[in-house]
Amino acid sequence: MYISVLDWLDETAKKFPEKPAFFDDKHSVSFSRFQEITKSIGTCLASRIPAGSPVVCMSGRHCDTPAYFLSIVRAGCFYAPIDSTMPDYRLRQMISVVDAKYMLVDRENYEKATQLGFDGEIFIAEDMADTPADEALLSKARENMNEQAPLYVIFTSGSTGVPKGVITSHQSLMCYIDAVSEVLEVDETDVFGGQAPLDYIAAVRDIYLPLYTGASTVIIPKNIFSMPNELFSMLNEYKVTALCWSVAGVSLPAKLNAFSESKPEYLKKVVFSGSVMPGKYLRIWQDALPEVTYINQYGPTEATASCTYHIVDEIADDATVLPIGKPYKHYSVTVITPDGKKADVGETGEICVSGPCLALGYYGNAEKTAQSFVQNPLNSNFRELIYKTGDIGSFDENGVLHFHGRADRQIKHMGHRIELEEIESTAKAIEGVSDCCSLYQKEKELLYLFYTGEADKKAISLYFRANLPAFMSPRKIIPLEELPTLPNGKIDMTTLKSYFK
Amino acid sequence: MDRLMEILEELRPDVDFENETGLIKDGILDSFDIVALVGELNDEFDIEIKPSDLVPDNFNSAKAMYALVEKLMDE
Repeated sequence: MYISVLDWLDETAKKFPEKPAFFDDKHSVSFSRFQEITKSIGTCLASRIPAGSPVVCMSGRHCDTPAYFLSIVRAGCFYAPIDSTMPDYRLRQMISVVDAKYMLVDRENYEKATQLGFDGEIFIAEDMADTPADEALLSKARENMNEQAPLYVIFTSGSTGVPKGVITSHQSLMCYIDAVSEVLEVDETDVFGGQAPLDYIAAVRDIYLPLYTGASTVIIPKNIFSMPNELFSMLNEYKVTALCWSVAGVSLPAKLNAFSESKPEYLKKVVFSGSVMPGKYLRIWQDALPEVTYINQYGPTEATASCTYHIVDEIADDATVLPIGKPYKHYSVTVITPDGKKADVGETGEICVSGPCLALGYYGNAEKTAQSFVQNPLNSNFRELIYKTGDIGSFDENGVLHFHGRADRQIKHMGHRIELEEIESTAKAIEGVSDCCSLYQKEKELLYLFYTGEADKKAISLYFRANLPAFMSPRKIIPLEELPTLPNGKIDMTTLKSYFK
Repeated sequence: MDRLMEILEELRPDVDFENETGLIKDGILDSFDIVALVGELNDEFDIEIKPSDLVPDNFNSAKAMYALVEKLMDE
């Protein structure tokens, strides 16, 4: 039985030492070099910081970054990845959520780390990457680690204006990767084309499927996703066989008419998740690449990436709404009605997840954790936690799960999860904004902010760009004399939606 | 050019389109900006931007975008 992802890494490095684990557009790193980096940096870190510490990792989009994550794990600690292209304000929030005392950066990001005013210790990965490994020290760092030890903290939008840090164990991650690798039939001949930002939950497939199976991942540079010929030529150059992308990412080539001039030649599997796949874009892929297997995945970060999957067996059209499918191995999914009963076939209720895939909770936030991770109301005999996703779903007569939207104001935009309240609480901090409401126009994928007050549209936009990740900055900012209200005094969102252009 | 600048300004008010020359190269515009922009340019100028037009050189500056729009309008 495996205790940690390090067991996977060590086994795969032994089996395929010279095979590349990760590529970027300039370099590659073999499994044995990957292992070596983790041991070298792990040795340095283990001699300086106590096991069990959260370590923030700020490293660029290149092939050594996954090795830096695992170096932190090698030192008996867990990593909290952050993306230096986010606004400083956001980065400081994330660092304070995990109350980090240590940060591991690549050299390129060192200056940025000091600029953030981080008062803990900053380690530069490259400076430590050739240190001789101290095996005794490394095994000591792992001495007290079991499979429920934390592996990472990944941040998601929080409705109060502060991101939530979802902390996840080795066991949860290993259960998910095992399940997804079985469904995708991954082996060492596969090459993944990595789209997700490395600090984001979706990247766990690109990072851990290679470590588990000996496959490789090409980390695709961010700026070529809108340059389809360049993107496809990169997929072909590396003979990419599988993509695990956000729906937003999969939609891009379809929107840009990319298949009219070139095609990915080696693709066998395309997996998408993060939001509802528009049928028209899926159809464009199906027409261009009919031999590819398409898989729709569903699941929240709190249940470790994805908890259900549906292998597409229909030819999509504009009206197609894919089911979210059946639970993965290691996952149990139940639909629970508002009165706490198990939903009948066809009846809607909240999608609830249980099993070893559940995250350990929200870092440093026992209250939020207790609200979302609760005792299964259907079980009064022994302790069984479920995670309440806040998503509405129903099972059909074949045991296939269907998604019916959200119970609250959380939306999915550009592959990211956003609490509209978080945008509003940011807007309300701007001088000259008296009241506001943020809404999402799904059809056009546009975030709106309606506001009252003296503030200038451009000033608001600049404030958002400086304080929120780009994907959370509303594109349409509309000043109003007053916000329409319902008889009970609440903001009338239906009327506001009629103001969408 | 004025209409193009208006579209760009509306798309990303935080970017200095007058002077930037590395909009793609330096990652200032992301893929979602480009998709939104391509749609608007196609509609506004009644052109069809093809995959082969989607290369960094055509989008690194407002000037380069304008040249592309003019070229496609002539076709």
